[in-house]
Amino acid sequence: MKIHRSARLLFTLLPLTLAAAHAQKATLVVSGFGIAQDKIDKNITRPFEAKCGCNVVFEVGNNADRLAKLGARRANPNVDVVLLADYFAKQASAQGLLEQLDPALLTNYSKLYDFARDPLKDGTSVAFTVYSVGIVYRTDKITKPITSWKDLWRPELAGKVALPNITTTQGPPTVWLVNRAYGGKDSNASPAFIQLGKLKVLTYYNQSSQLTSLFAQDEIWAAPVGRFAWGGLLNTKKPLAWARLSDGQAGLVNVASIVKGSKNAALAHQFIDFMLSTPVQTAQALDLVDSPANKQVKLPAAVAAQLTVGVSQVAGLRFMDTAYVLANRDNWIQRWNREVVR
Amino acid sequence: MAGRLLTPWLLVTPALAFLGVVFLYPVVTLLFSSLRVDGALSFGNYAAFFSDGFNLQVLGRTLRVALVVTLISALVCYPAAYGMQSVPPRYRGLVTALIIVPLMTSPVARTYAWLVLLGQTGIVNSTLVGSGLVQEPVRILYTEWAVYIGLAQLFIPLMLLTLISAMENLPRDVVPAARSLGATSLQSFTRVILPLTREGLVVGGTLVFTGCITAYVTPALLGGARVQLLATLLYQKAGVTVDYAAASVISVIMLALTLTVAGALRGRTGRGR
Repeated sequence: MKIHRSARLLFTLLPLTLAAAHAQKATLVVSGFGIAQDKIDKNITRPFEAKCGCNVVFEVGNNADRLAKLGARRANPNVDVVLLADYFAKQASAQGLLEQLDPALLTNYSKLYDFARDPLKDGTSVAFTVYSVGIVYRTDKITKPITSWKDLWRPELAGKVALPNITTTQGPPTVWLVNRAYGGKDSNASPAFIQLGKLKVLTYYNQSSQLTSLFAQDEIWAAPVGRFAWGGLLNTKKPLAWARLSDGQAGLVNVASIVKGSKNAALAHQFIDFMLSTPVQTAQALDLVDSPANKQVKLPAAVAAQLTVGVSQVAGLRFMDTAYVLANRDNWIQRWNREVVR
Repeated sequence: MAGRLLTPWLLVTPALAFLGVVFLYPVVTLLFSSLRVDGALSFGNYAAFFSDGFNLQVLGRTLRVALVVTLISALVCYPAAYGMQSVPPRYRGLVTALIIVPLMTSPVARTYAWLVLLGQTGIVNSTLVGSGLVQEPVRILYTEWAVYIGLAQLFIPLMLLTLISAMENLPRDVVPAARSLGATSLQSFTRVILPLTREGLVVGGTLVFTGCITAYVTPALLGGARVQLLATLLYQKAGVTVDYAAASVISVIMLALTLTVAGALRGRTGRGR
């Protein structure tokens, strides 16, 4: 009877003691993409927890879902750090959902490439990774190398091209660079839409996995694509090349920001700083998760070949102003639906 | 006496409460969110949706696809269901199982199979080119045709199963009786079989039509951006552009379409059960 009672007491108290132990540790909530989360936990979450003596909880989902959640919980935010594609972060910033970052609290700030230091130009974010958007093509089917965005319009490519849908992150940079290639000014994207309307496109893909199967099944010979898909494309064992474009590749970044109203702003700065540190950026690159935004990262050539890295490559990237995308995207989606997708 | 009246209510309460929470409440919320513009009730979201020609095109295409697929499956399934009546009972279980197997395969797997079959180098095109019927591979994938094919294959089993069970209730001798009284086979179909199996057709038609309206995977993968339907447009609005006003309008339209068609077809049975 006595044992019974003490056992009951123990079970009553156990959750309370656990909760008390829990309460002493700060908990940092990070909203992330959920892609390669096992690698992120290995390279970032667990080492950071060991360093800070805190708990890190990831909340994952796609950009749009997580942005909507941030907006819905504006009054009582439960996320501290948010990782988003640059364009979605700009939307969050425009809605007043992001805190200003303090570069003085980021010891690795000086190691970042210029483009990564304030990619949204409003002090809310740093980029932790970069990828290029260029063109991939079949070297056996297209013997004269692709060197310009305009090459997609070559007659022999008719019906053998896939485009990223305008609603993907690669869609707007494709429109932007095509517009520039055809002499358009940023203030007027009509040259791009007129040309894209004439392009003989097989289909418009929404995910890089769709693009991989289009190449694997010999449906297409060329497509604009984000560099993060390159590893998967090589797995198709088709003779593919990443085009060297004289009119430039686009650079896109994913950024880290602190959510407005976060009660753990200091810890959030430490987490972001940790993400930007040379060892973490190197580990993420070696696992082929993210190309580094830290210019001190050194990688073996075989790894670098699969990523967007190196000063020389990064120097050739063209970064689109996120405010410009935000101002034009709705109009571009409408024009795309009417003038391009037919 | 009161207790006896109360018992049925007590029995259905858990189910009603469950549906109230997980179905009725979200539907009402959805309806209100589609009618809210800057905090005030208005039809502004609907006006915006219907004044956009692109949206009307998607709506029209969705209706066309659903209608054509429903017709195709009725045309294909009537003879098959009738023929099924003459299958000896011991093989009937096997045939029914063959009809059900595709229903148990994931739509994603079935759709991917079509991607392989209908492609430029797929079996359909290699047969057409190999037999000399066409010179160049035919473009089927990423056209409305691919969506018709994919959805028809997806929903034909549903139509077939409902028609088979309707035919089983058909008295065995009515067709021979009609024929012996001089009806042609067309007349015995239109004046005997069709009226007696109409309810099965209505149930099957409703399942196929509403299934087509709400299908996502098949139009997304086989049609692509060029063949947008309401379901794929809804995903774009809610999941990509975060335009919840338009997304809730599309959801309400899809729900209204489904209810209207189900109601109209049900009225056609003349019994309104």
